[in-house]
Amino acid sequence: MKIFLSLLMLLSLSFAKDATIEVIKRVDSLPSLAVEDSSISYDDTFKMRFFKSLVADMNVISLFNVDRHYRETHFNDTSVVVENKDMKYVLRYKMFEDDNGALNVGIKLIKENEIVLTKNYKVSRQDIYMFISHAIAHDINEYMGESSVAWMKRKVIFSRIVSPGKSEIVIADYTLTYQHTIVNGGFNVFPKWANRSQNSFYYTALDGKKPTLKHVDIRTAVVKNVISSDGMMICSDVSDDGKTLLLTMAKNGQPDIYSYKVDTKRYTKETRYNGIDVNAQFMNKNKMVFISNRLGYPNVFSKRLGSTEVEQMIYYGKSNSACSAHGEYIVYKARESSNAFSKNTFNLHLISTKTDFIRRLTATGVNEFPRFSRDGDAIIFIKNYMAQSSIGIIRLKHNKNYLFPLKYGRVQSMDW
Amino acid sequence: MKSLVLSGVVATLLVFSGCSDKEPVVDAPAQEVEATSTAQEVEAVATETVSSEASDVSSVASELSMADIEAQLSSVYFDFDQFTINTDMQEKISTGASIAKAAALPYNVKLEGNCDEWGSDEYNFALGLKRASAVKKALVAEGIEESRISMVSYGESNPVCSDKNKECWSKNRRVDFKLLP
Repeated sequence: MKIFLSLLMLLSLSFAKDATIEVIKRVDSLPSLAVEDSSISYDDTFKMRFFKSLVADMNVISLFNVDRHYRETHFNDTSVVVENKDMKYVLRYKMFEDDNGALNVGIKLIKENEIVLTKNYKVSRQDIYMFISHAIAHDINEYMGESSVAWMKRKVIFSRIVSPGKSEIVIADYTLTYQHTIVNGGFNVFPKWANRSQNSFYYTALDGKKPTLKHVDIRTAVVKNVISSDGMMICSDVSDDGKTLLLTMAKNGQPDIYSYKVDTKRYTKETRYNGIDVNAQFMNKNKMVFISNRLGYPNVFSKRLGSTEVEQMIYYGKSNSACSAHGEYIVYKARESSNAFSKNTFNLHLISTKTDFIRRLTATGVNEFPRFSRDGDAIIFIKNYMAQSSIGIIRLKHNKNYLFPLKYGRVQSMDW
Repeated sequence: MKSLVLSGVVATLLVFSGCSDKEPVVDAPAQEVEATSTAQEVEAVATETVSSEASDVSSVASELSMADIEAQLSSVYFDFDQFTINTDMQEKISTGASIAKAAALPYNVKLEGNCDEWGSDEYNFALGLKRASAVKKALVAEGIEESRISMVSYGESNPVCSDKNKECWSKNRRVDFKLLP
């Protein structure tokens, strides 16, 4: 009996750390938080815009039950607004424009009438206010001692189809509220960050004679050709050190995966199946997952770089055509209806290579482009449901999905 | 009969007009042309210049014919999530091959693979390419030189139809023929 109990404990302990089954249901027990505005500059429209952004960000960190009522007060008032007196936390902020037109924001986090955190933020332009809002949420999360949400401050790069055969590449914040078009005109697809610091990226240009992979340095705006291939050329993933790329190329019309060394410009063919092999993602420095139709339908497989042995990773889903990996975890897109004549449902699922559990991460609509954050804490994706497209953030540890409506355009590909 | 009557009328009119020419001829003095010191310049005669490119009759003709030939090449359509060529599409490929061997002989053939919106990312691009590749193999089997054929995939990014229904989706699962000089 003792052995049985200790085995049970061991099992539950080992599972407790697995994101595929660990679901923390603590919404009811989350502390309450209200947000108070003490801004002196700016009109009501902008004040409300900033308030909404901050409330959304405070929700995404999943640590508070956030009150959505907009209330104004003086920044230096010693007590909180009367309606907020029962709140465990109050986040008070003051926006003001300085002589140079820069947006300044000061914040106070008040816990039971005591100021526990003060910070000041500044950006040169009013229209990039959302980056301050993300930074505030990031810092409060850090103050609360939770695992990092540094991904909030990272940028998303995506390509958008503007008309058949025409696209643009856009850099945005993680909610896609701020959007800056960086490559305009032509047919340019599959953008991918080239390094950790997000100061350069790769993309595929389809306008030339052959699809060509290009590299753009954002700081200098220098564009370089990297490599071309007949038919198809995609940079699917970049290693953590930025030195190895996983490419899909199609010499003689046959899509296969290649690893490419940035320094030496040498490439190695990684897959040799006579069907479709695409979407390679690093699991670690020496191992990748990829999508292949070697069973007659698209599914997720893995292999070590340089070896020939291939392992099937997923045993659930009729058609699993996209994936993203982070260490032992794989998030993949599965078609849950197989129909050429009506709308299909595509949901995202999470598996761990160490357990047999599958966790469904979305429930409705067409969910695509799953991408892990660098630290594996969150997954970003696009949801299309009831004629509305949104960008979604899945907080794995908190079992919460947050959706931000997308303004316009169809996303072709996305990287975080 | 009608023409006979008409020519009769015309002949009579001619006879009558000859008879009426009885007016006396008045000898009018010849008008002198005044000499002026500065000659008035008249407008230059309009001319048309034919550029060297436009004067090349053969190039104009071939440009027109390339577009014309391209219009005769019809797209090959595919089933949902498939890249095998259906028997009913084989005829289109045979027609395409005959054109490529005759009228389109001076040109190279570019095959553009496309997909419907179901699917995403890289898999759809690969599916489009495999469709183009299947058509290429069929063309080669019909005797077209492999070196004349190039391929590209546009995935779901180059739709001909953007409605949300099955007819529209099936129109987008296709390979288009394009000619390159």
